[in-house]
Amino acid sequence: MVRLAYVQLAGCCGCLVSLADTYERLLDILDEVELVYCQTLMDEREIPECDVAVVEGAVCLNHEECVEVARGLEEKADTIVALGACAATGNFMRYSRGNEQSAPTHEAFVPLTEVVDVDYAIPGCPPAPEAIERFLTLLLEGKTDLLEPFAKLAEGKTEYCGCDLMYHVVNKNMCMGCGTCAAACPTRAIEIVDGRPVVNEDRCIKCGACFTQCPRTIWPGDDAIKELVMGGEEE
Amino acid sequence: MSEQVEIQPTTRHEGHGKLVLYVDDEGYVERAFYLNTSAIRGFEAMAKGRPAEFVQVAVMRICGICQATHGTASAEAFERAMGIEPPRDGRLLRELCALGNRIQSHVLHQLLVLDDFVEEEKEKVEAIKRIQQIRKIGQYVVDVVGGEGIHPPNIRIGGMAENISESARKRLYRRLREARELMEEQHEFMREIVERFAEENDLDLDEFGRHDQPFMATHPTYGDPERLDLDRVVEVLPIEYYGEEHKEEAYEHNGQIPLYDGVPVEVGPRSRYVVFDGVDPRGVLYIHILRSQETLAAIDRCLNILEELNTSGKTLAEWEPRAGTGVGVHEAPRGTNVHIATVNEKGIVEDYRIIAASTWNFPVVEKAIEGEHQEYAEVIMRCYDI
Amino acid sequence: MSELKEIMVKGDEGLLGEHLGVFTARSTERRILRVTQDGGIVSSIMVYGLEEGKFDGVIAAVADPDDPEEPWKPRPVVITDPDEVLEAAGTKYTYCPNVSVLKEAVRSHGCERVAMVGTPCQVRAVRKAQLLPVGMRHVPDKIELLIGIICMENFPYEGLKTMVEQLCGVWMREVAKMDIGKGKFWVYTDDGEVKSIPIDETHPFEGEPCHVCTDYCAELSDLTAGSVGSPDGWSTVIVRTEKALELLEEMVEQGLLEVKSIEEVKPGLGLVEKLAQAKKNKNQKEIEERKELGLPEPGKVHEQL
Repeated sequence: MVRLAYVQLAGCCGCLVSLADTYERLLDILDEVELVYCQTLMDEREIPECDVAVVEGAVCLNHEECVEVARGLEEKADTIVALGACAATGNFMRYSRGNEQSAPTHEAFVPLTEVVDVDYAIPGCPPAPEAIERFLTLLLEGKTDLLEPFAKLAEGKTEYCGCDLMYHVVNKNMCMGCGTCAAACPTRAIEIVDGRPVVNEDRCIKCGACFTQCPRTIWPGDDAIKELVMGGEEE
Repeated sequence: MSEQVEIQPTTRHEGHGKLVLYVDDEGYVERAFYLNTSAIRGFEAMAKGRPAEFVQVAVMRICGICQATHGTASAEAFERAMGIEPPRDGRLLRELCALGNRIQSHVLHQLLVLDDFVEEEKEKVEAIKRIQQIRKIGQYVVDVVGGEGIHPPNIRIGGMAENISESARKRLYRRLREARELMEEQHEFMREIVERFAEENDLDLDEFGRHDQPFMATHPTYGDPERLDLDRVVEVLPIEYYGEEHKEEAYEHNGQIPLYDGVPVEVGPRSRYVVFDGVDPRGVLYIHILRSQETLAAIDRCLNILEELNTSGKTLAEWEPRAGTGVGVHEAPRGTNVHIATVNEKGIVEDYRIIAASTWNFPVVEKAIEGEHQEYAEVIMRCYDI
Repeated sequence: MSELKEIMVKGDEGLLGEHLGVFTARSTERRILRVTQDGGIVSSIMVYGLEEGKFDGVIAAVADPDDPEEPWKPRPVVITDPDEVLEAAGTKYTYCPNVSVLKEAVRSHGCERVAMVGTPCQVRAVRKAQLLPVGMRHVPDKIELLIGIICMENFPYEGLKTMVEQLCGVWMREVAKMDIGKGKFWVYTDDGEVKSIPIDETHPFEGEPCHVCTDYCAELSDLTAGSVGSPDGWSTVIVRTEKALELLEEMVEQGLLEVKSIEEVKPGLGLVEKLAQAKKNKNQKEIEERKELGLPEPGKVHEQL
């Protein structure tokens, strides 16, 4: 059975709550793995060696323990998953700038993808429960070809935020105004005006949900949809 | 001669913590330090120079378990700073949204503490299943009313982004009635396991984890800045609070320590019952039972709100930025949550202060642990849903 | 075997997408036929689904032809009352962000079984939202039925307005119905006037993003409907999933739909296939040309960042 550690860095625990929001399926999901570490759910105090480390939260470069834990993951885990935008791509933590009591030097909060080699990054603040469940299922079943987009996002090239949506979809003549980005945005920063998104930058937290959810940025392939969605699995 | 014991990280709660205990020869705690070892993400500093709207969205992300309270306290602070009056139905929906969160958060905490009280796997699984059913309904409330179960974006400066449909109102009502039945069962269960734990460990429920700190609460179900005299509140640095002789501990604690009239005060479910119902249960394990009772009360208040709500009423006030300072207070699942915002005439934040609910309770946890055996240190800490 | 199964035929799945069968149909209800584009299939399904409680919400586009600022500009709505379905009837030849209200349907409307009608690209968007719902909390399992509409391309609102007002010489506010068929773009006015322009003249107004799409028949829908291939007043229906088939069989049994084999009618399925092929060829070429210019390929943007 896959040994899975759930590691929390500088974050809010919202990604774990999202996993818990699988409600009645949570116990089934946890039955599929051997949960070896998760400080919010169990008493294990040391991250043991494991097959998969799922990591939530940003790395505070000014927090020794945080950096140590992050750096140690490569040794301990075969596969590292950055769950949620703080760990995956940056999120609103990009706006942190220190100078707050009682640790005014805590200033640099970067996604895990900038600190260690992450295998998969899942944006969103938080990623939907169903997305986490799907991801884990595909990972456990070894259907890693479908996870390729998440592997690509783990390279941490950008935040995949509202700006990226504008630069790489609308500005590249590919937005057909379906409205997916507006629905996906967890802060409702996006409005579709005259068939194209307008991003309210005051509400955009750089979580990457819009870019990741857009059908024009990442297309998982028709076959996967026919098999996993239309095959009746959802019912 | 006292011995020093460290428990790190403390487990089954949100965030990162460490207990440093000075214990006597028999293991009884003479002095306890409960230290917050989480990195300071710096929401107050992040807020400065940013638009009010951004700040209200960002601060929800302080806590992924009780985001609605931060969203609400922040919106309230900005509204008072800029003289904005949310419409009646917006105000009702906001209370409903945060109570939905209170329901899920309270029972989630009951899930986290299960291991303290229950050993048998079957009993545990049954409880988890029931808790998840209740959480599902609490989160349904937040999803429908707040827009997202985690970090609800409908909470806005000026009220709520939208009303709910009439059919959604009926569905919520029906689901909450289901939740009430489940919660009655869960409440009974909590009472049983806590009493069983006390009996098995030969603990006096009225005495165990007792402390003499005052209790503070501003409202049973929402929050009321009128009931919080900020002139009597100070936030001190850990080094000021613990003193030079404990500077090692002080420097490990991230965050300031809020004091009321110069002393730590307890906030949360027990405080709300003490302040508004006049009860005085001193034993710390009672918090579990009161939290459970408060979940039932939250469900009842949700049902009332749904009856009061006009689903075609306006929910969001239009507003223009204006310079000012405002205090927003909301009773988080964990206790009194305070946000204080100062904005300029363009609505840009000049100063922002947050006294998150748990920070009040950190020093109280220490007092509750002191005098008890070290083996119970985390059990006592977990009564507080840090 | 049901009446429907007996008359259904299969076409080229490489062009139409995988399907159980194709047939031609129209609603038997006058209240529906009076307002709909062709056979009123989409409206009939929505009314039936809502009335029977198969759906508790339907996402569709409504447009107000008399809007003083932007007549005929559609906006997406969540419909929970079957009586309101007919307000959304008829094709709008411009963008309407139907998917943008998907979350609203399951949130503030509290819907648990949502049906959506959408263009092929919108159907794709929802399917992806079901497969990889990163930003779609609690949405995937609430999608009950996806009805696709056959689509060659779409027009930005101002483009459509130019076609109607400049090329056809009709004020948007006077328009009763728009249609594309028989090689022309048609405008019917409130006064009963009919204007048309050759379809070639509309090309300059087509939305460019439509040119990177090779899906003509909404290949990932539960069922797809469109006028192409069927005679006036009828719709071609492509059934893809068992769920959709059962629903349609029920409706036929109850006499809500009149159905015929598509082999008995003109112009027939061959035209659908021909146009699907044309869209695929033309737009595949466009994608290749874009690649040469260094522009991102749809669906692979993340790989190129």
